[in-house]
Amino acid sequence: MKRRRGLYVGLIFAALLVLLEAGPLVTQKSIAAQQKRAQGPNFVVDPLWPKPLPNHWVLGSVTGVAVDSQDHIWIIHRGADSLGNNEKGAILNPPTGCCVPAPQVLEFDQAGKLVSNWGGPGQGFDWPQSTGGITVDHKGNVWIAAAGQPESASRPASAPAAAGARPAVPKPQDAHVLKFSRTGQFLLQIGKAGKVEGSDSKTGLNRPTSVRVDAAANEVYVADGMGNHRVVVFDADTGAYKRHWGAYGEKPDDANTGAYDPNAPPAKQFRTVNCAATSKDGIVYVCDRQNNRIQVFQKDGKFVKEAFVSKSTLGDGSVWDIAFSNDPQQRFVFVADGHDKKVYVLSRNTLEVVTSFGEGGRQPGQFYGVGSIAVDSKGNVYTGETYEGKRVQKFVNRGMGSTK
Amino acid sequence: MKNGKWKREKRETFDSHGDKTRMTKRSIYIGAIFVVLLVALFIGQSLLDRASVAEGAVVMAPRFEVDPLWPKPLPNHWYIGMSIGVAVDAQDHVWIVHRPDTVSANEAAADQKTGDCCSKAPPVLEFDRAGNLIGHWGGPGQGYEWPESNHGITIDHKGNVWIGGNGTNDAHILKFTQDGKFLAQYGHAGKTGGSNNTENFGRVAKIFVDPKANEAYISDGYLNKRVAVLDADTGKFKRYWGAYGNKPDDKNLGRYDPDAPPVQQFRNPVHCAELSNDGFLYVCDRPNNRIQVFKPDGTFVKEQFIAKRSLADGSVWDIAFSKDPQQKYIYVADGRNQKVYIVQRDNLEILTSFGDGGRQAGQFYGVHSIATDSKGNIYTTETYEGRRLQKFVYKGLAPVTKLDQGTVWPGGGSK
Repeated sequence: MKRRRGLYVGLIFAALLVLLEAGPLVTQKSIAAQQKRAQGPNFVVDPLWPKPLPNHWVLGSVTGVAVDSQDHIWIIHRGADSLGNNEKGAILNPPTGCCVPAPQVLEFDQAGKLVSNWGGPGQGFDWPQSTGGITVDHKGNVWIAAAGQPESASRPASAPAAAGARPAVPKPQDAHVLKFSRTGQFLLQIGKAGKVEGSDSKTGLNRPTSVRVDAAANEVYVADGMGNHRVVVFDADTGAYKRHWGAYGEKPDDANTGAYDPNAPPAKQFRTVNCAATSKDGIVYVCDRQNNRIQVFQKDGKFVKEAFVSKSTLGDGSVWDIAFSNDPQQRFVFVADGHDKKVYVLSRNTLEVVTSFGEGGRQPGQFYGVGSIAVDSKGNVYTGETYEGKRVQKFVNRGMGSTK
Repeated sequence: MKNGKWKREKRETFDSHGDKTRMTKRSIYIGAIFVVLLVALFIGQSLLDRASVAEGAVVMAPRFEVDPLWPKPLPNHWYIGMSIGVAVDAQDHVWIVHRPDTVSANEAAADQKTGDCCSKAPPVLEFDRAGNLIGHWGGPGQGYEWPESNHGITIDHKGNVWIGGNGTNDAHILKFTQDGKFLAQYGHAGKTGGSNNTENFGRVAKIFVDPKANEAYISDGYLNKRVAVLDADTGKFKRYWGAYGNKPDDKNLGRYDPDAPPVQQFRNPVHCAELSNDGFLYVCDRPNNRIQVFKPDGTFVKEQFIAKRSLADGSVWDIAFSKDPQQKYIYVADGRNQKVYIVQRDNLEILTSFGDGGRQAGQFYGVHSIATDSKGNIYTTETYEGRRLQKFVYKGLAPVTKLDQGTVWPGGGSK
């Protein structure tokens, strides 16, 4: 009796295995049939990544995400200043309820488990009044941009102010980037909070939004930024100034260019420099956010080409951050568009949109203010959401397929 | 020794699929494992039953897991705002009401013509069990005053949809058919007359309809401090009362003080009034952090504090009953502490809770409204910047191991 039931169970199991084996073959066949259509990587959100934070910690507006050489995922968020009183009740005096702002720098392992946390003011450096991007360089050091967005601008104008939010404490405007060890030990600061300088300064920045390191040259590229209109390059060890340039590789100009007009000729200056990332083959891709374009340069600042993405976008603009695909050729560029609430997949060669994923909303796989993006060694995509998105999400790479 | 053998067999099972001769042998092993597990489960269950009956040591409570992929994404780039009401109808369809006006300009960029995404969804949305959006309506129309700030939704036993409003001038409630045809308005915008007025209301949070007596219980509200009862067909005013069954008094009570004696009036907002099958009315006295229980005639029965030290917007936001005929449990949404309490209804003791602050699946920011379907699943909506509808799947009764379960994920992966 027992044996017979065992056999039945076994048979069902075997049948299931056969079905499982056959499944991929069918899929592959249909993919082969559709070979003529555009090919791009496919993604599916992992709704249960990362794991819930401990200690009733909650995230503020997430402004940066990065992946290190161990495939650990790092994020930086704006912490208490970006949280309403009714979501940080445990730190109020007297306490009113849940929860606690998480430390601003968080490191997750591949399983989504929080493995380290740090951040906040300390001796010898100016912690950002409002964080920008984060990156982990080839030596394992962590770089943070101090974007210093004023309180009034860090929250959408039409969003209701959090109940009882305390008035903003005046702080010197951010004009610097910071370098720490992966355990949070301070190593280097370039620029000085409050020492705001224009787009031709060799010592000061103006609300840089993002920082990336070119391992090959050991140089740090600063997207400078919300205030300035340039890319500026420093030695990654010493912080020594090396070079800078504006849109089209020209000398930057900080004159007010007015509101973006999609029908006007392309602006001769950057509007909001939101990223500056170098590919393995030594090409620099710059996010000119509110001009809705990517400008491409050689490392010396020589202009190569530009491409518009969602060109009619107004308001915040479309090109918030980029990441390269994990294949050796980096065939694709992922563009986070915080205004249209999606991620574009571009062919790096042509800079044409192959496909996109995402939609506005608060459910898994949807976005509100997706402003930062990174890719791990397996090709999975991680996104950070600012505004009231306040999440990090993982999109699992399901391999190449035909796109819509 | 025996353990070692089991381990080895298990490893083979998963490492070497495809070998046909082994498959038969393996199937026997698997079958045997299956039988052993069944026996173990049976013994375990009877042991558990015996333990709980004999000693009362094992506390059992409904267990839930979030379904992170429910509901399905909305069509048309639709986007929802503060979601301040949820209800389940007789077909187990899930209804929500949200506030399109709270969607900010950069969220509603398509409406603003600054981008492709998104557009404000209509305020009333109906989902089927699978989470597909199957109906939508709401907003101003002929013959009625749509609330300045719609608030609370319920579907009565006749299939009608009731909506309140907590905007400054909202002093009325509305009744529609399920496809959005206007049926009735009780009270008028701007005509509020305080907690002893019998024609208008004061910023109503929610409506509950008692099918037996065909009476509507009004949680009244954000301005008034009472429960009001109407005839559900005619809207005729029947009775009303304040905290402890007292005559309501609208004078300012000052701030809630957890160490002061309980106040003799409701505090604004009176946020829910739900009648159990056995005829007890449970009222959410939100910033007073308490549930007050009444008979349908307004006779006070008892009260219970929940998270009594909560300040500001309070802990008792909404309640739903469990779906067993006895309604053994009450689920309490606490938008201040970002969790749902599972409360035993007979003694109003908290057995356990789930949820935590955050934007991930199963977490909350301003969990505002709660409802259950016929299968015992829980639905929640979030206001503030939570702005979601979430489903928590009923997984049967389970021994309580933690008072605070945290985020409840599929596979029992709570932290």
